Amino acid sequence: MSEPRRPLGTAIGAVAVVALALVASTLGSYPVYLLSLAMINVIAAIGLNLLTGNSGQISLCHSSFMAIGAYGSTLLTAKLGMPFWTAIPAGALLAAAMGAALGAPASRLRGIYLALATLGFLQIVQILIEEFADLTGGVRGLSVPKASLAGARLSDYARFLIVLGCCALAIWTARNLLASRVGRELDAVRLSAPASQALGVSLQRVRLTAFALSAAYAGVAGGLQAIVVGFIDPVEFGVSSALRQITFIVVGGMGSVAGSVIGAGVLSALPEALRPVKEYSDIIYTAILLLFLIFLPHGLVTLWQRGVRGRDAALPARSGAPS
Amino acid sequence: MTTTLALQLAIAGLSVGSIYALVALAIVIPFKASGVLNFGQGEIVTFGAYAALVLTQLALPYPIVLACVVALGAVGGIAIERVLIRPIVKAPEFTLVIATFAIGLLIKGAISVRFGDSPNTIDGPFGGEPIVAAGLRFNPTSLWIFGCTLLVTFAVIAFFRHTRLGKAMRAVSVSPEAAKLMGIRVDRVYRWSWAISTAIGALAGLLVAPLIGINPEIGQLILRGLLGAVIGGFTSIPGAVVGGLAVGLIETFSGVLIGSAFKNLVPFVLLMLLLVFRPYGLFGAADVQRV
Repeated sequence: MSEPRRPLGTAIGAVAVVALALVASTLGSYPVYLLSLAMINVIAAIGLNLLTGNSGQISLCHSSFMAIGAYGSTLLTAKLGMPFWTAIPAGALLAAAMGAALGAPASRLRGIYLALATLGFLQIVQILIEEFADLTGGVRGLSVPKASLAGARLSDYARFLIVLGCCALAIWTARNLLASRVGRELDAVRLSAPASQALGVSLQRVRLTAFALSAAYAGVAGGLQAIVVGFIDPVEFGVSSALRQITFIVVGGMGSVAGSVIGAGVLSALPEALRPVKEYSDIIYTAILLLFLIFLPHGLVTLWQRGVRGRDAALPARSGAPS
Repeated sequence: MTTTLALQLAIAGLSVGSIYALVALAIVIPFKASGVLNFGQGEIVTFGAYAALVLTQLALPYPIVLACVVALGAVGGIAIERVLIRPIVKAPEFTLVIATFAIGLLIKGAISVRFGDSPNTIDGPFGGEPIVAAGLRFNPTSLWIFGCTLLVTFAVIAFFRHTRLGKAMRAVSVSPEAAKLMGIRVDRVYRWSWAISTAIGALAGLLVAPLIGINPEIGQLILRGLLGAVIGGFTSIPGAVVGGLAVGLIETFSGVLIGSAFKNLVPFVLLMLLLVFRPYGLFGAADVQRV
């Protein structure tokens, strides 16, 4: 049961994109940079939500796919001179391929075993980045060549527009995907694996597809982060960022594109709000995650749905927890 | 590789392996009892190390420090179980994995804020002068860690075999419903399984501190502990200890055999291979599910 297509939603989305672009054009470079990072988080959260919220597979290595996208696209630009608009899709493809490679064995695992396998994958990616220092810069990190188009360097605002475009595209594709056969299969596999098998849905194929798709979104997010921040290092893609992305979807709402947008949006604003107590920000972040897990496990989206549709409305897309 | 070198490496491997074995043990006990895998166990070890540091700075003698660290670990475990785990113990596995992970990060965050990132250290109980015997060098701290691990292992095995509470835990791990019908207080079993586990974790922190120093990143060694638990099959106490020791040996020997650059990869590649081909470990039994 996916979100129904609503022409109204598309119209509101288009208006929001234009409004954001206009508002950002009046802002200074720092707010624009923060908005770009928030939208990159949204893209990553959408990918993770397809995997965890919809297909029901836990992943502790979403940040590794961001790393693969970021390092892949940066190295393609730096070593082969590819422009960013081909390097980022290429990085995303690489991430998707790695996602499929992990998904093939991981789709046989559930629960804690899947958590362990994805945690192991994250460590392997971290160690490879650190050990191939000649290529990746190791722990010291890697500066990213300035993105340019037709010989001209992109301004902060131009980079923002690119991120905005990608973010809108990510929301649009994910909504359509969930309304399609693929989306129904993802939800079916989570809600009841035996029932979906009985209906002829291949668990293996659906779970693997979910891994590849979610990795592709993460790869795009990683590539964009590289050009927006201008610097990448392995710490940026470690366990704590993986957990931060899980926080986005738990706080926003599992299995819902709106949930990813709300969760990543709200929580990206948080570090700025917490600036005066910067050293406590990790603690506050994890405390929020714990409070939501205990008291509002289906996320902020359910508050809105309760308000709009009334308490009785069942939430089929969000029942059936991942394992 | 000469025999002496191999033996020397085996000694080193067993001494780090002892720590992994303790962590694996601490992971397996509440998992057996309540099905909750504590991904925050590494930070319990960090907590134990910092507790030892603070108590040592108060100039308390080692045996008292040891007793206090173990007691603090147990109290911490009871508190975590009561406040954070009990409300969600029936929640889906996803919630539990993420919640325990978050608890770990919370502890780590609190320690970083309080103590900063600068490394500290404490001394072992027997000084650092190595004992030479039969041409081999034994670090007294390592021997002490190994001895403690053996002692804890046998104590835990005896506890599960001979005490009322231990038997109750085994009953609950087979079937919580049936155990409840037999009059076992399942809540109490969960609470004590956490207390024992976090006490062992904190002890591991105290023991490992003289070897690797004290910093907020100690918790990283949970990954080796988890690998040990996977090798042991997650439900077997001796399996977890053997698994932990094996991880120590593998790590030490792979460092010499394939070079230090990629030795860190070995445990994780092994973890992935085991999960794919033998997810129930070398000792555990497959968990057959009917649908």
